[in-house]
Amino acid sequence: MRLYSASSEESLRARKLLRDWAGDGFLNKEQYQLLEKETVSELRTTNIFLRLVLFVFTLIIVGAGAGLFFVVFLSRPSEETAGVFFLIFAAACYAAAEVSVSRARIYRYGIEEALVVCSVGFLCAGMQAAFFSGSSYSPEPDPAKCLVPAAGVVFSLWIWRRFGLSYAFLAAMIFVLFLPGHWTLSPSAQHLIVAVFYAAGLAGVAAVRARHHFNYLDEAYSLVEAFLWLGIYLAFNLQISSLNLPAQWWSGTRAASEFGRPFYWGTWVLIWCLPPIVLARGVRQKDRFVIAVGAIVAILTLVSNKPYLGRPRHTWDPMLLGMLLTSVAVCLQRWLARGPGGIRHGFTAARLLGRDKHWINVGSTVFGLLSPHSTPAPQTKSPDFRFGGGNTGGGGAGGDF
Amino acid sequence: MTILTRLEQWKEQGKISPEQHAHLAGLSRGEPFSLFLELNVLLYAGVLAFVAGLGWTVSTWSQQLGDVLVLTVLSAILAACSWYCFSRAPAWSPAETPAPNPIFDYVLYLGALIWSLELAYLENRFHVLSGQLDLYLLATAGLFFFLAYRFDNRFVLSLGLSSLAGWFGLTISHWSAHQDAAYRGYALLYCLLVGVGGALLQRGGLKPHFFGTYLNVVANVLFWALLSGVFNRQGYGLWFLVLLIACGACFTWGLARRQFAFVAYAAVYGYVGISSLFLRGVNDESAVLSYFVVSGVAMLVLLVQIGRRFGRPA
Repeated sequence: MRLYSASSEESLRARKLLRDWAGDGFLNKEQYQLLEKETVSELRTTNIFLRLVLFVFTLIIVGAGAGLFFVVFLSRPSEETAGVFFLIFAAACYAAAEVSVSRARIYRYGIEEALVVCSVGFLCAGMQAAFFSGSSYSPEPDPAKCLVPAAGVVFSLWIWRRFGLSYAFLAAMIFVLFLPGHWTLSPSAQHLIVAVFYAAGLAGVAAVRARHHFNYLDEAYSLVEAFLWLGIYLAFNLQISSLNLPAQWWSGTRAASEFGRPFYWGTWVLIWCLPPIVLARGVRQKDRFVIAVGAIVAILTLVSNKPYLGRPRHTWDPMLLGMLLTSVAVCLQRWLARGPGGIRHGFTAARLLGRDKHWINVGSTVFGLLSPHSTPAPQTKSPDFRFGGGNTGGGGAGGDF
Repeated sequence: MTILTRLEQWKEQGKISPEQHAHLAGLSRGEPFSLFLELNVLLYAGVLAFVAGLGWTVSTWSQQLGDVLVLTVLSAILAACSWYCFSRAPAWSPAETPAPNPIFDYVLYLGALIWSLELAYLENRFHVLSGQLDLYLLATAGLFFFLAYRFDNRFVLSLGLSSLAGWFGLTISHWSAHQDAAYRGYALLYCLLVGVGGALLQRGGLKPHFFGTYLNVVANVLFWALLSGVFNRQGYGLWFLVLLIACGACFTWGLARRQFAFVAYAAVYGYVGISSLFLRGVNDESAVLSYFVVSGVAMLVLLVQIGRRFGRPA
């Protein structure tokens, strides 16, 4: 099913690890050159910057090509006709992606990725236009209309399996969100259906990934599992996944009105239960992505607890959260550092790879530029001044704080 | 064949020592598992949330809390951060210096943000810098650059660069007419100052690892400024020419140094500039779309050739 052979992907992974290890000084130059020859792969890769640019230019070509086709050959086509052509474009894009990979052996090259992204977009737009363009709006759910998101789910999952693109799985998860609206009007049932889909996916992934520990698929499954945990959490956290979120948060009102009381309070219990479960799973598996999601959902639970309970927010809440996060980080770091050799239960706070330092450097530069760097506002002549409203900040920073 | 199997083979063939095998196999299995990145992210998020909450509280409750209390608290935090950083910092070195402990960089970052907050409060309450806001920004930028070079901190260097950009922006805001052209001029001056300053510091061996940060900021500001000139209705020829020269230089430098971010900047900004020139006054839909198809294919072919020759991950 997969477009790339296991040995090719394993070789690419080994090559990447060798480069990291040589950069960190764990291998000398001669060793690196010798071992690199043994990890040759026929797949052609590129760096992240060229990959992004190639992705963008392929999108431009496909979008402009489709537009040009309609302008030149079809003036004012009916929606059904346009839909049929969209479906043809979807097939053409997908075929082009398959051919580019099988002929040119490109791997995460941007071009084939943009082609499959376009094929998903064309498929959904084509199905919608070809089959449902004439149907009038009805408040009642119409199960037939779930065909479009269902096709999106299936096709995205196929692309995830075939091309190994993790964001295709994320796209499938997003398509799932549009399914329950076609089956039921009940918001509680919709949240529950989405969560059940994600939980089923999680069970499947957890069962499969046990066979792939330490091989090239481990990281991909880890990311997918993290997406699913996050999806389940967001489906249950009604304060975050509710549509009128900003209004509810600022007014301090609960989202309970659109949900039954047992369901509402059941989800409140769940958002407190999920973070420790996710964190425990991540720690037990030593899974970086799942641990990260565990930390994120723990913070989201703390942030959304007050709106859940209908209590007013205070201006000092972020300060308390900041102190908590800092304290946890410092305590954890010190506790780990005091272990024998700076290790406790197989975990360390020390940096083991140069790659981590590189990410910290990139992050500190970018986040430093984007920091909420307040500056004073120009002096107003009015005596009834208001604090805040600095008008410059540099680096895109806002003036208010 | 998994990496663990390969390592085992390489050990048996004598290509790596048993010690190397043990170490590398441990790294591959995540033994030990490093939480370095996660703890740093937690510290950053914690500092940011704390300062955001402090700013929000001060701006909302300043009347009730009173100036004395607010300034005392802010000054106390600032003093504590300063004391911590100056007392724990290792001796200064022009080379890259690791932080003495994992929280050091974040204490310095907290201090820098509190400094901005306190000055903003002072200005808004007492107008101590009346009419000289640009001087405030320049002084703040200077302080941040000093701290960045003293403590080898990229967070504070970025704050310094954004403060300096703010100074240029604030200075020009005193001008009412022709703001677009004047802003562009100041942006170019900013690029010149930061670029030349960064290059001189690198040549002088003063924290040469900061040079990449300078170059990335300069490249983006420069291209935005040049593009704003190219988008002008009149007098865009010179800007277009300068854009082409800048793209060529950026492209060549990126390839020569294998810094592919700069190749990407040259490709994207250059394409936007050239496209705006070609499509100026063109209203025919099919002509516009044909241009995007043809130019897109041309760019794709060029980039694929570059990718084949240079673009494999270094």
